[in-house]
Amino acid sequence: MIKAIIRYLLQLIYFVYILGAAPSALADQEYNVIVHPDVVEKNLSVNTLRAIFGMRMQTWPDGTKIRVFVLPDEAPLHQKFSKGMLRVFPYQLRAAWDRLVFSGIGHAPISVASPEEMQEKVSSTPGAIGYLWKNNIHRGVDVLQVQR
Amino acid sequence: MKNYCYLQIIKRFLVLMTLWSFSVQAQYPVDAPKSQATLGSTTEWFRSMQSSGDLQIHGFASQAFIKTTDNDVFGNSSGDGNFGFTEIGLNALMRPLPRLQLSAQGLSRRAGEGTSATPRLDFAFADYRLFSQETKQFGIRVGRLKNPFGFYNDTRDVAFTRPSILLPQSIYFDRTRNLALSSDQVQFYGETSHLKYGTFSTQFGINRPIVDDKDTALSFVRNRPGSLSPKPTFIGRGIYESSNNRFRMALSGIWLNMAYDPAPGENLGSGSIQFTPLYLSAQYNTERWSLTSEYALRHIEYRNFNNQMLDSLHFTGESFYFQGVYRFNPKLEVLLRYDVLFSDRKDRDGKEWAAKTGAPAHSRFARDITAGMTWNVTPAFMLRAEYHRVNGTGWLSPLDNPVSASTSQHWNLFAVQASYRF
Repeated sequence: MIKAIIRYLLQLIYFVYILGAAPSALADQEYNVIVHPDVVEKNLSVNTLRAIFGMRMQTWPDGTKIRVFVLPDEAPLHQKFSKGMLRVFPYQLRAAWDRLVFSGIGHAPISVASPEEMQEKVSSTPGAIGYLWKNNIHRGVDVLQVQR
Repeated sequence: MKNYCYLQIIKRFLVLMTLWSFSVQAQYPVDAPKSQATLGSTTEWFRSMQSSGDLQIHGFASQAFIKTTDNDVFGNSSGDGNFGFTEIGLNALMRPLPRLQLSAQGLSRRAGEGTSATPRLDFAFADYRLFSQETKQFGIRVGRLKNPFGFYNDTRDVAFTRPSILLPQSIYFDRTRNLALSSDQVQFYGETSHLKYGTFSTQFGINRPIVDDKDTALSFVRNRPGSLSPKPTFIGRGIYESSNNRFRMALSGIWLNMAYDPAPGENLGSGSIQFTPLYLSAQYNTERWSLTSEYALRHIEYRNFNNQMLDSLHFTGESFYFQGVYRFNPKLEVLLRYDVLFSDRKDRDGKEWAAKTGAPAHSRFARDITAGMTWNVTPAFMLRAEYHRVNGTGWLSPLDNPVSASTSQHWNLFAVQASYRF
């Protein structure tokens, strides 16, 4: 009896644990994080994504340089990505980049003017990461799964 | 001493440049195989470095107009006002290897008697990431680095990174700014972040402060003939950011040591000065609001001057400010701030000091109410205006106001500034 209860409880804990840890792909969004096809990582946590777009994490685990591409601060997709995915206000991201650039301890991301340029740059730059509206994504880039 | 120091940095840099130029050549074909044919061409190489973000050049320039009543700030600003406050900077950031960054910035700043426009090497250092694992980073920086303290010191001369034209003077003195600005140091840094609990980052450096300028000498030893020289100094800062990035908190401290050598014939001993300020900073951000407050305790101790007056100088200054910024939209924001400085927290009204030295009591404190406005015309161009109502002259530069007895306790400052960056 006691054994059964313990087994049940263990299973329950296991089940809850699996539920909690299961990667919940963001189904409802209209945009994706994209990377250059040579980037080995196809799966990242939001936390890692924050470190990347905060320009604090500079290399992929295999040692290659991470090259971050962003749309202008006022672009609707940038606002959406920044607030919805990274949970940071665009002005905070800009402030963080300025602190890195003007004290010399980091880099600014590379600005692109349009979704077309985003597609072109990410597909042609090794180690590149960026984001695009789903219907702007073409061959030449890989879509990255983000786990929360 | 100063020249020797520059020489050391230039030497270090030359060695590094030579080293990395080889590694860049080796790495180049891997990074951009398409342009392999033009490997020899320097301009092509430069362009490729820039388009991949491995070489970035950033700059800024700002010009202010300042008008004050009675007392002078950054030149002769009382009366008709003046254009005496100019900031120009240019930097280069290079990433020759994935884990290595080389950074340098030159700065020209004109601000009254204290700072001429002579360009100075603001920072020049190598940053090597010793350990990097997703959200955990650890590394070392060697060279001339910005002193990490508070929220604003690292980028204090870049108008775009400040909330106002003048930073809260109780914490970020422009009077003794050169000492606070940057120093030759070895610095370790680390960072770790957790999805739920947020990000913690820290910097710790051992440095040689830059003490040989007239503002510093004047602030610490008045006009006594002799020279100040640097002694090993420690600086550290820890920053916590909540995981939703709304809340930021920092604790920073400096343990600064200087030695004083009297000029021949000067009746003083070879004394030492220890300056140990401690800063606590906090900020809360929403989409429209940023509320910021910083608090500092600044302890100063004079030793072995063989002078009763100097050797009895053991006191703690106290500073704090509260600041609110409201954004109507990304282009327009307003600021309100209350900023307080006490040179000696045991003598807040300056009366003891006045009795002891004959200097005005109001030279030992300052309460500044600031209202300001920022208009981000474009992401690269910004206009600002602000008004200060000040009670006290605690942070006024004695270089711009040599006769302290003729300063006014209650005074106003109005400033506008145009800034550009790329």
